[in-house]
Amino acid sequence: MAETIQQKQSIKEFIATIPFNKIGIKDLLNFEKTPQNMLVAVITLAFLAFFVLGVATYLMHGHHAYNVTREHPWGLLIAVYIFFVVSSTGLCIVGSLGDVFGFKDYEMISKRAIFGSIVTIMAGFAVIAFEIGHPVTMLIYNVLSPGLTSAIWWMGTLYGLYLTFMIIEFVFLLKHNMKMAKFFGLTGLLVGLAAHSNLGGVFGFLNARTISNGVFYPTYFILTAFITGIFIAFIMMGFRYKLEFPENAKVMLTNLAKIQGLLISILIFFVTWKFLTDIYGDMPNRADVAIHILGSWTFWAEVVLAMLIPLFIILKDMGKNLTGMFWASLSGMVGVFFMRYNLVHDTQLKPLQMMKTTEYELAPSWVNYFPSMTEIMISLGGLGLCILLYYVGTKLFNLDADTHH
Amino acid sequence: MARYGMALDYKNCINCKACEVACKEENGILMGADKHRIWVGVKEIEGEYPFLSIVSSSFEPSQCQHCDDAPCQEVCPTNATYYDENGVVRVNAEKCILCSYCMNACPYDARYVDDRTMTVDKCNFCSDTRLARGETTTACQNTCPTKVRTFGDLDDPNSEISELLRTREHFSLKSHLGTKPKLFYLT
Repeated sequence: MAETIQQKQSIKEFIATIPFNKIGIKDLLNFEKTPQNMLVAVITLAFLAFFVLGVATYLMHGHHAYNVTREHPWGLLIAVYIFFVVSSTGLCIVGSLGDVFGFKDYEMISKRAIFGSIVTIMAGFAVIAFEIGHPVTMLIYNVLSPGLTSAIWWMGTLYGLYLTFMIIEFVFLLKHNMKMAKFFGLTGLLVGLAAHSNLGGVFGFLNARTISNGVFYPTYFILTAFITGIFIAFIMMGFRYKLEFPENAKVMLTNLAKIQGLLISILIFFVTWKFLTDIYGDMPNRADVAIHILGSWTFWAEVVLAMLIPLFIILKDMGKNLTGMFWASLSGMVGVFFMRYNLVHDTQLKPLQMMKTTEYELAPSWVNYFPSMTEIMISLGGLGLCILLYYVGTKLFNLDADTHH
Repeated sequence: MARYGMALDYKNCINCKACEVACKEENGILMGADKHRIWVGVKEIEGEYPFLSIVSSSFEPSQCQHCDDAPCQEVCPTNATYYDENGVVRVNAEKCILCSYCMNACPYDARYVDDRTMTVDKCNFCSDTRLARGETTTACQNTCPTKVRTFGDLDDPNSEISELLRTREHFSLKSHLGTKPKLFYLT
């Protein structure tokens, strides 16, 4: 009994000693009122208003408020969920460079990246909660009757664990207990990578969808996560230092840009070979789908924004143009969004049943989909939520590296 | 315990859609709910007059294939999709979270969202009605005027379906995917 009380007290003391700043609404409104900052603030508020509107519409009309259909059951919200969790995994990888793998140059971004990984996955969960038809049932039966052969079960469960580890790691980082941070960071990273490759497996396991089936997505997801993490690292550091980086940040970001150059080159190599193998031999349901994808503007948006522009900026100055990299990273994130959207949409392009079933119609060809206003509002709302949580975090915690070590 | 399956003498189908109507009536499917549970696919005549390929035209009645290795069951995160004691692939609506993974995984497009329960449903070989009453029939099979459908126990060597599968050539849809469907198309 006495032991339990003692344990409770030590937990209480542990929580009470987490360093944070006491802030109120006034502190949140207290930021430099430059036109750029005001623009970001107004956009964030607008996105949050969209979130409320979108969720209200969903609660009134359910999935009928979305443009998802029997032929295209996964829509924009799934793509946006993937976008956020990829961002989270990527930030976790970037954050781990310093505090898990011990690369000193990257320690200055660890805390910020780990906090970023927490807010991005929370935004992802906020979005997916309105896509899953029965989220409460999910929480119950995920435990009571787990589907162990389901990649969604593994992905969801591992991401839940991952979030817990990330929070614990962040707390230890705040407390400057680097040993424990390293332990939970490594565990969180491994669980996160497993969760993320399972997310790729959700698509890779689809025997019925020849274009997605196979090993490509589970591995590609890890690669694109790292790329996304570096893009966000540039964006976060760009805002933090208003593009006037101190020397240590310059060293770190230049190194990150070089790594990014390598990763994007590997990505281009991967994607090129995916399309070559998809098209070669003219295999039905694969070659025709791949050729159709090559004709879509969203694919080229992904290629230009997430691959070609950032790679060009990196190669031009060997990663030293950090302001250019900040803007290229914004372009990259828009490209990454298209990457996720394409992945979800392209998987469902080809109808599974190719015969017509009612008179006065044509036989099914390609499945069309364009998101509804409700889907768009909830998605933008997720982004608003992410920016808001991150902003609150910058006020609440010291996300810069501790100077006393 | 049985292992129910269905043989379809699909070349006899006249696309009268009596099976769809009977299924709707039996299972309380909403009016106007297109392709819920069962449907008849139409392949139209190919070619241009006068070189029309009349053999290219066919009707293909279809529904859930009640696979022995059902992808929809494998991907279900809460085991809402399950095999019952008769090998019928069924859905426990209470456990369904409407993640729609089964809709994406089913190679036969056999899963649909039931707007009343907001869960993903499918054909269950009339397990809630006829099979529950001890009958070995389904509504679609019972009503078919050209006797396209033969329903029965695949494990019973004396059943009509077993006899048919022994004596008639047949194929399964998308069998290369390894799903082992229990719907057999007689040629």
